[in-house]
Amino acid sequence: MHRAAQSTTRHPALGLAVTGLILAGISHPAAATWIAAALGEPARRPLDVARLLALSLQHVILAGAGLGLVAVLGVGLGILVTRRVASPWRPLVDAVAAGAQAVPPVVVVALALPVLGFGGPPTLLALVAYGIMPVLRGTVGGIEGVASDIREAGRAVGLTNFQILMRIELPLAGPAIVETLRTALVLAVATVAVGALAGATTLGTPIVAGLQNQNTVPMLQGAAATAALAFLGEAALLALVSAWRAIRP
Amino acid sequence: MHDAPLAGPLGVGPSRRLPLLAGIAWTCALALALFALPVLSIAENRLALGRPVLGAQALGWSVGPILALGVAGLVVPSRQAAGLRAGLAVAALAFAILVLAAGLGRGAMQALAGLPPAARASLGSGAWLALALLAGGLGLAVRRAHAPWLGPATVVALLLGVGLMARSGAFDALSLAVEYAARRETVNAAIGEHLALSGAALALALAGAVLLSLWRRGQGVVAILLSGIQVVPAVALLGGLVALTGGLLRAAPALRDLGLSALGAVPAIVAIAAYLLLPLWRGLALALRSPDAATLEAAGALGLTPAQALFGVRLPLGAPILVAALRVAAVQAVGLATLGALVGAGGLGRIVFDGMAQFAPDLILLGAIPVIALSLGAETGLSRIEAAARRRWHA
Repeated sequence: MHRAAQSTTRHPALGLAVTGLILAGISHPAAATWIAAALGEPARRPLDVARLLALSLQHVILAGAGLGLVAVLGVGLGILVTRRVASPWRPLVDAVAAGAQAVPPVVVVALALPVLGFGGPPTLLALVAYGIMPVLRGTVGGIEGVASDIREAGRAVGLTNFQILMRIELPLAGPAIVETLRTALVLAVATVAVGALAGATTLGTPIVAGLQNQNTVPMLQGAAATAALAFLGEAALLALVSAWRAIRP
Repeated sequence: MHDAPLAGPLGVGPSRRLPLLAGIAWTCALALALFALPVLSIAENRLALGRPVLGAQALGWSVGPILALGVAGLVVPSRQAAGLRAGLAVAALAFAILVLAAGLGRGAMQALAGLPPAARASLGSGAWLALALLAGGLGLAVRRAHAPWLGPATVVALLLGVGLMARSGAFDALSLAVEYAARRETVNAAIGEHLALSGAALALALAGAVLLSLWRRGQGVVAILLSGIQVVPAVALLGGLVALTGGLLRAAPALRDLGLSALGAVPAIVAIAAYLLLPLWRGLALALRSPDAATLEAAGALGLTPAQALFGVRLPLGAPILVAALRVAAVQAVGLATLGALVGAGGLGRIVFDGMAQFAPDLILLGAIPVIALSLGAETGLSRIEAAARRRWHA
């Protein structure tokens, strides 16, 4: 009975995963051609599955690299900024982070283009420039949300500052950090799609080319596949987190 | 994007050594920008690669004053300075920016003397780094002054100074000014289109958010739906909407007479508005819930009708939250409107994408600078209104 009741309370990752799989199905050449036909678009040659998978792989690699950089830099800076030593730097970090947020990712990609050339690098730069701030703020908010008496209790028990960070602050700030990483993941998938404008070969490429040439089928495929990646990525992140929670006592 | 109350739990006594180190690093970076990095790049035409010109050569004698003013602006308010000293620091840094701008304009003119008219002098990495450092220092000085009027006053004074210099032709030799002169109408029209796109999307999303929050029973569904939209990348949503609008137009060609087309402003506005729904809807819900039960009961006891309670109690008390949501949405709208150019909606994105297609950095900047300015303007303007609303009703 208990087991059955548990399985009926759905995991939040499930809805995301189902949405992602439906979108992935839409990006299949046959499905996309059928939808385009239903919309009255002329049936043009769709992207075949191999090409779609290759683009998806490129997309995942770029977004994954960017997300990794954002996570390491954002969480790392968030930890640094909340140390006692760094408190004079706080206004500066806040100001820089707020300033970086005022530049939309497309504009960062565009501005980095003359400096870094066509392809992946401007996209990665845009991702890092735009993604760090939410992660940094989320980490800072999570760590500062830890009640100070818990921290004091840790100190009273004789924990070092590092142990307080690892055993008290980070575990308690965990949910907030995961929440910001979800935002960063969605941002990463979207920014890599925009990177197609700077010549990075991603799932954004068929969308941008399709919009320019009025070629609806590949455009639909790219759009559905990009959205599918975002949903599936979020589902995977949530599943990973809950699996990790289940392992850890 | 909430400005969480950031009273550091660990922030006890600020150490004195780190600000000193930061100041030294800042000074070294400024010196590097002015002496070791190219402040200008002289090219044969607007697309060719340029020859770097260092600051000492391009700026001449003004390098010294810029550095001195910058350092002075940083050092003067070394302790908890208020009033005159902080004001002096702000003035020194603002003046340093103006001297740098004038020096760059003059340097470009001298570097181009005797070259064919197609030659261009564009700003190099050193110039951008120096401007960023000085602007950052200025921002810090304004913050430390603790005078709410100083920020806007400094911005107005700087804009006025730069505007007057531009009018007198001080920057005519810089490639950015040349590019702007050649496309003045296009850029001005694009700014108008950009504002119209983001404004229309904001209005549409606001109406949508109000309607959605009226549907009391469906709030759970609305939450799932709106956060689902956030996950869809903007480029993908634009692509999908164009396909949908195309299908709709084929099914009902009469819509074409209303001015609807598959490519154009309509799909862009709908797509932008879709992303703004979540912050606005969430802000509206939080704002309406902000007065506590006792306040609402008191309003009822006073004989206020629900409508009177809404406009007299709930909305004023929730105003700061509502304005905060509006600020988040407005900044997002300005950024997303850049992508509107992908579906032929115009706006500043068109200039940015033209510049990318031509690999012309100045053209990219010509589109990017107004986007950043609009975004910063929306952010600072609305956060000031937010603070004012907070003071007005939560004093």
